Amino acid sequence: MALRSTHLFIFFFFITISLFFTSAFSNLILSKVERRIDLTSQIVRTISTLKVENEGPDMVSEVLLCFPDYQAQKLAFFLVSPNDGKGKSKSSTTSLPVQGVKPEGMPPSLTFYSVSLPKGLSKGESIILDVFAVFTHSLQPFPEQITQADIQLVLFQDSAYYLSPYEVKFQSLSVRLPSPRVESYTKLQNTKLVDSEIKYGPYENLPAFSYEVVVVHYENNRPFAVAQELVREIEISHWGNVQITEHYNLVHGGAHNKGGFSRLDYQARPHVRGVSSFRHLLAKLPPRAHSVYYRDEIGNISTSHLRGDSRKTELELEPRYPMFGGWKTSFTIGYGLPLQEYLFESEGKRFINISFGSPMQELVIDNLIVKIVLPEGSSDVSVSVPFSVKQLEEVKYSHLDIAGRPVVVLERKNAVPEHNMHFQVYYKFSGLSLLREPLMLISGFLFLFITCIIYMHADMSISKSSASYLAKLQWDEVQATLQQVQNIINRCLGVHDKLETSLRDLSRTGDIQACKAARKAADSYLKELAKDLKPFLTFLQSCPQAAQIWPKVEELVAKVKEIEEKLMMKHIMVVDSYEKKSGGREIENKVAALQQKLTTLRHEVDDILEVIDEI
Amino acid sequence: MASQGKPITSPISDVYYPSLAVIMIGIGLIVTASFFIYEATSSKKTRSLAKELIAGTVASVFLGFGSLFLLLASGVYV
Repeated sequence: MALRSTHLFIFFFFITISLFFTSAFSNLILSKVERRIDLTSQIVRTISTLKVENEGPDMVSEVLLCFPDYQAQKLAFFLVSPNDGKGKSKSSTTSLPVQGVKPEGMPPSLTFYSVSLPKGLSKGESIILDVFAVFTHSLQPFPEQITQADIQLVLFQDSAYYLSPYEVKFQSLSVRLPSPRVESYTKLQNTKLVDSEIKYGPYENLPAFSYEVVVVHYENNRPFAVAQELVREIEISHWGNVQITEHYNLVHGGAHNKGGFSRLDYQARPHVRGVSSFRHLLAKLPPRAHSVYYRDEIGNISTSHLRGDSRKTELELEPRYPMFGGWKTSFTIGYGLPLQEYLFESEGKRFINISFGSPMQELVIDNLIVKIVLPEGSSDVSVSVPFSVKQLEEVKYSHLDIAGRPVVVLERKNAVPEHNMHFQVYYKFSGLSLLREPLMLISGFLFLFITCIIYMHADMSISKSSASYLAKLQWDEVQATLQQVQNIINRCLGVHDKLETSLRDLSRTGDIQACKAARKAADSYLKELAKDLKPFLTFLQSCPQAAQIWPKVEELVAKVKEIEEKLMMKHIMVVDSYEKKSGGREIENKVAALQQKLTTLRHEVDDILEVIDEI
Repeated sequence: MASQGKPITSPISDVYYPSLAVIMIGIGLIVTASFFIYEATSSKKTRSLAKELIAGTVASVFLGFGSLFLLLASGVYV
């Protein structure tokens, strides 16, 4: 009994193993395959519509797709989406997860991809899948070298039958060409050339892994613009700008030019004598792009045109020379974008949401490097890109940086315009870090001022005991004292002015008491000032350096004293007259002489002050 | 994706950068001038360190922000 059960177990084990292997391959069939290959540009785009049917008893949730290795190496973009038959609009399609796999027992030199279906297929059910694949460098120029006037012919090779690990019931293939001019194409049964389209099929009931080579040799003069390397630098400034700088290293990837280049021929008939070349490129920049520039190592390239409206900005750029096969050029374009359209905040983190690829039309990029330069002080950086990229981190030193800015570097080999999807870089950034740059500038200026202050305060002389040094010190002191004296004299004059105003007030209001009080206050204040003045005067008198100025100062002090006395006299006289109720005329006559004296004295004092000022 | 977050704008609209640059550098230069006038006219005895420091700080704050806005207005986004 025990033995039997073991046998049974082994038996079942093998059954499941074989089921496991076969379920993936043989139970599924492709009941209908429609393939369209677009060869109108330098990029090969294939759209295959597969109707997958499950004929086996088991549920299947994965479908295998395969490409020959030589194609898989050139595969740039791959998207599988379910097709519900009606809605063909691209927005409604969601891509299914695709994974590279290596199933056992399969023919070599094939690359397999496994597609996870949205829900498992049980017996008899079917699903329609759209497989969109983009290949680069798949058009081989033949002949490989052409002259300036020749047209460019290219070879394309693929299988007429859909290469699949499953049996294909019914299939057809159509190849779209840029023009009806076809040099040659492989003729199988059911092949026809209609206008600029070659149709193969329908073919029915072909076993798995059927392969039949077809080669199309046709004319393709579309620009074969290939960027061997494109470095896109996206620099975020929270002061309101996203700056994008793109360094292109461009080559014409078509048939090489031979026999030289004649500018005369080209200029005379550019469309005939230079049909394989391209003269300009079109970049579709985002709307509201500003400060656009186009230059190379030796400066600005003036042959560019910029057009824009509210929905887009178009930059048409012409390289310095028309591009023929194998010719290279390198240039840089740059533009600024408004911050608020690309930078957002959610859940305490900031993120930039911006397009990945190049804005150039129909450009193949062999090596695309996207650098996102985050502002200084950002942390916790994470990236979300809808396709696989190599990710690195760097630090960049730019304007007014100390620690450097964190840079996220994303590298992608073999990029096509289909990679122009939005991606996000998340990071944490504190608003206070914005103040780093102004603080640096402020500290720079402050450093300048502090150096000035230190210089003015420092004593730079070498010998502290030399005569000239001592003389200079003393002279400084004399100057300081003079300034003080001037200050005090000015204050005295201010008091004199106040006395005069008190007299004027008296004539207006007749308030004798107030006038007397003002005189008293002025008198005591003047006395105080005179006391303050004394030490300075004695210093000036004793100082040999001040010998020259001393007479002037002495005169000044004397004059001021005289003014004071005269003014007091006048004041007393006027107040007395008021007390005696004398008439205005009378008072004026009384003080007229005094007044005249006062005015001349005041003038003299002003003159002396001016003289002292000049010292 | 983009609709999820709240757009981030610059703390001051970039329309005001040129005028802010002119005004702040203007004030900064005036204060700088007064600083140097004070340095040149006052003698060692009468100079006060606090006054010098205050004038210097005020001038450098205005010049610092002014030159930042000048950089921003001229397209050098720091």
